[in-house]
Amino acid sequence: MIEIFTLAFLMLVSIASVIAAFKAIIEKDMVRAIVYSAIQSAMYALIFYVLMAPDIVLVYIPVSVGITPAILLFVTKKTERYDGD
Amino acid sequence: MEFPIIVASVIVVSLYVNLGIALYGIFARPSLVKKLLAITILSDTANAFAVLVGYRWPRTGTPQPPVLMNTTNYNESIKYYVEHAVDPLPQALVLTAIVIGLAVTLFIAFIIIQYYRLHGTVDVRKTKALSR
Repeated sequence: MIEIFTLAFLMLVSIASVIAAFKAIIEKDMVRAIVYSAIQSAMYALIFYVLMAPDIVLVYIPVSVGITPAILLFVTKKTERYDGD
Repeated sequence: MEFPIIVASVIVVSLYVNLGIALYGIFARPSLVKKLLAITILSDTANAFAVLVGYRWPRTGTPQPPVLMNTTNYNESIKYYVEHAVDPLPQALVLTAIVIGLAVTLFIAFIIIQYYRLHGTVDVRKTKALSR
């Protein structure tokens, strides 16, 4: 049995990832949406860490919290900042 | 109901909700950059599903990463490893999928920039109005 505290932490992190993903999709400003997406990726990194995959965490944090938001910010800078309507 | 079952249910439900949110973003949002962001959320959710499938809820003790630490007492170490380590195969596949996803994201990003140069917008509805 793994500890109750770890399980409760995992539950809170997964719910926080849902909230961050929802805000990232709903947000009209692309820069704020990218920041919410980075928060969601950080929550996923914590989920991977608790699910006993530390090697994935080592790859996932630089790629999905660092490089992918940088690419998306670059695309946003080259194109439009606000989407829709 | 036991607490680990509740936690596993909450994780699975939240991953499914994330999958639905990402699909909504791909289908219903007009901006191509927002579609690309939703694609990254979708691929991350699929990777998290794969890792969750490989996880193990052991009866006794805590689960360990799939690394064989101690080789002095070989039979005991192998027995403990088989009983407690999580599945390493989904982790290897996810490790590859993350890197491939980064390459695909970069490729789609430069396609979007080229699209903006050609059409002057990244809104798919305005593009349809322009091409008439």
